[in-house]
Amino acid sequence: MITEQKVKDFLQTGGYIADDAIATAVFLALRMEKPILIEGPPGVGKTGLAKALSSALDFPMVRLQCYEGIDEGKALYDWEYGKQLLYTQLLRTQLDNYLSVSSDLREAVERLSAEESLFFSKNFLVQRPILRSFLSEKRSLLLIDEIDRSDDEFEALLLECLSDFQVSIPELGVIEAKRKPLTILTSNGTRMISDALRRRCLFLYIGYPELEREVAIVRVKFPDLCEVLARQMVEFLRKVRELNLRKPPSVSETLDWAQVLSILKTTELTPEVVANTVGVIAKHQTDLQKVTELAVKELG
Amino acid sequence: MERIIVRFVAALRESGIRVSPSESLDAVQALALAGMEGRRLSRQLLRLTLVKNVNDIALFNEVFNRFFSRFQSVDPDLDIPDLMDAAIIGMEGEFNYLDQLPGDDHDENGPLLKLDSDINPEDLAELKSLHEIDPDDSDGNEIVVQMKGYRGKSKAPRPTRRYTQNPLTIELNKSNPVDRGITFSPEEQAEMQDVVSRMMLRLRKDMRRMKNNQNRGKLHVIKTIQKNYRHDMVPFQVALRRKRREKPRLVVLCDVSFSVSHASRFMLLLLHTLHNQMLDVRSFIFNREVAEITEMLANMPVNDLMETIDQGDIVDLDANSSFGQVFLSFKKRYLENLRGRPAFIILGDARNNYDEANDWVLDEIREKARYMLWLTPEERDTWSRGDCLMETYGSYCDKVEVVKTVEELSLVVEELLRDIYADQAHPLDKKRLREAKAAETYDSKDYYTRGASGGGQPSLDPGGRSHW
Repeated sequence: MITEQKVKDFLQTGGYIADDAIATAVFLALRMEKPILIEGPPGVGKTGLAKALSSALDFPMVRLQCYEGIDEGKALYDWEYGKQLLYTQLLRTQLDNYLSVSSDLREAVERLSAEESLFFSKNFLVQRPILRSFLSEKRSLLLIDEIDRSDDEFEALLLECLSDFQVSIPELGVIEAKRKPLTILTSNGTRMISDALRRRCLFLYIGYPELEREVAIVRVKFPDLCEVLARQMVEFLRKVRELNLRKPPSVSETLDWAQVLSILKTTELTPEVVANTVGVIAKHQTDLQKVTELAVKELG
Repeated sequence: MERIIVRFVAALRESGIRVSPSESLDAVQALALAGMEGRRLSRQLLRLTLVKNVNDIALFNEVFNRFFSRFQSVDPDLDIPDLMDAAIIGMEGEFNYLDQLPGDDHDENGPLLKLDSDINPEDLAELKSLHEIDPDDSDGNEIVVQMKGYRGKSKAPRPTRRYTQNPLTIELNKSNPVDRGITFSPEEQAEMQDVVSRMMLRLRKDMRRMKNNQNRGKLHVIKTIQKNYRHDMVPFQVALRRKRREKPRLVVLCDVSFSVSHASRFMLLLLHTLHNQMLDVRSFIFNREVAEITEMLANMPVNDLMETIDQGDIVDLDANSSFGQVFLSFKKRYLENLRGRPAFIILGDARNNYDEANDWVLDEIREKARYMLWLTPEERDTWSRGDCLMETYGSYCDKVEVVKTVEELSLVVEELLRDIYADQAHPLDKKRLREAKAAETYDSKDYYTRGASGGGQPSLDPGGRSHW
């Protein structure tokens, strides 16, 4: 029996500090076998959650990175035309022998079409990420990353896969998932995801973490960074987020910064330290200035 | 438990969150799986299964608190089924409160409900002043009440046919009469984002249909070979080189004087949202002088920009607006270096403050432009009154539209973009687009006449818009 607390604990073993909402969502996704749609600003650990889950649960991760123009040939399955062609070439003599028995053309065609399924069998099927995760012997984790980058046709294509965990291939029929994968979809909200897709998923919004959780995240990733500095750093970044920057620093920036500070063996945050390392947390010219000004005001 | 969930879902729907039956089933299943220990957990379970949109989360929390607050006092020793039953019984009588809560409360605090004793001298003074505005119009007060209910979505009834300078008519043009700042609230920005993304979606769908034909160019040998590999190199499917697709170019001239500020601020927001989406837009604002704000729109947060404009830092807002001056200086400074044949949108009320009209400049701009569209917030029957030169300027434009709301604005811009795209389309597509448009015309006409037809104004053309 999995419980929410257990989910939280084993996520922590995977190096991921989850809050209640995340733990509940993962717990429900595991029990109800439903996909989770995660939305939130970039860098708050949407993909990180999937990675942590995959290592904590020991589910092999199958990752599908979406992009504009992705289609079923890239996401579900494809026929291996080259191989089909090669096989027909190589088997030409056998085919000749096989067909030479037939007396007339009609019979030859019938004999050949009886063997048609040979060429449209799983031998010639290239499994793309979604099908691969459906057919994996072990329960897998399917990560459909940045779904908002794909077109709406692709979204429609996903509907069947996500609600019934099956793939329809015209030549082969319906292929059902051996083990329903734990499915995670992430979106940065650059485009509205259709309601049809949302309805099939549990919806989880991950925002910027609370102070305590963010400190905990930094402490887990960089245990040698002293707690006082970690706290000071996170508190400063929370103020930076309120500055209305073009690209507010996210958790990933926090971690980058923590790494930089621990490499530099910093012990205390001062305006000079911020000024020297500001490129890690602010990514635009105008933002740089605002952050340094804030540092002078807050820490000076 | 199911009953509770169904009622809760009903409450959510009541407040505008869309929840499908399958989602409520999910919620029931989730609660059954995870149990109902604690309010926090239940809230999370319900939120995960029922709410599918970030913007709805706050609303959900509100409904959740309101809905479940009445259960807290129940004895905690009762086990869950009993608790549920008790709750249902307790709720049975009170459930109607939901019908009254959202949106209805603003009716209650109107003056209609006031007792006589509650009316204080200020109120009386206010009432008197209302009479003074229009002493011989006996139904003046009723109109005021109607104006208050007007939210800007549909066209409000017009009080009189004649044009008067009376404040009621001016009120009509403002979507939000109470204490309107120059900056945008997050809701307004979200709404605009929504309107624009829907518009883009519609456009993109139509444009994708045209793509195949638009690609027609020379044979792409490598792609053709790759594509027909599966057919043993027999070129069943031909890949053609894609032609370079031109981005539609727009030039927008936006009046920012006080008389049209309610319309221009939405225009600026629309431009800000459109920027870099798919368009090459150059934006200018003017009052008496003209200035380019393309860079600022792309790089500044929209509210900062609005404040900068409002302070008169870009163009002087205290001067009287003069369209003639503006056109002249626009021609001198910018017209020569406009690339391609852009479509022009001019937003303004064409009130020239009796200055030189300089309408010949529009003729020159017209030569440079693919299309010229004038948007005005004023109704047609005022176009030749006072200092308004709409009739004169309008004769140079392809089209003059009356826009008052965000939806109208986005519809007009969408149609314009569609026209530009259609202009570059393959002849085959052009024909199809024309047919599709002809089929649509009836509907869109209907959209525009919906509000205006009731007044029975013979001088107003049926669409509320006019073509030259």
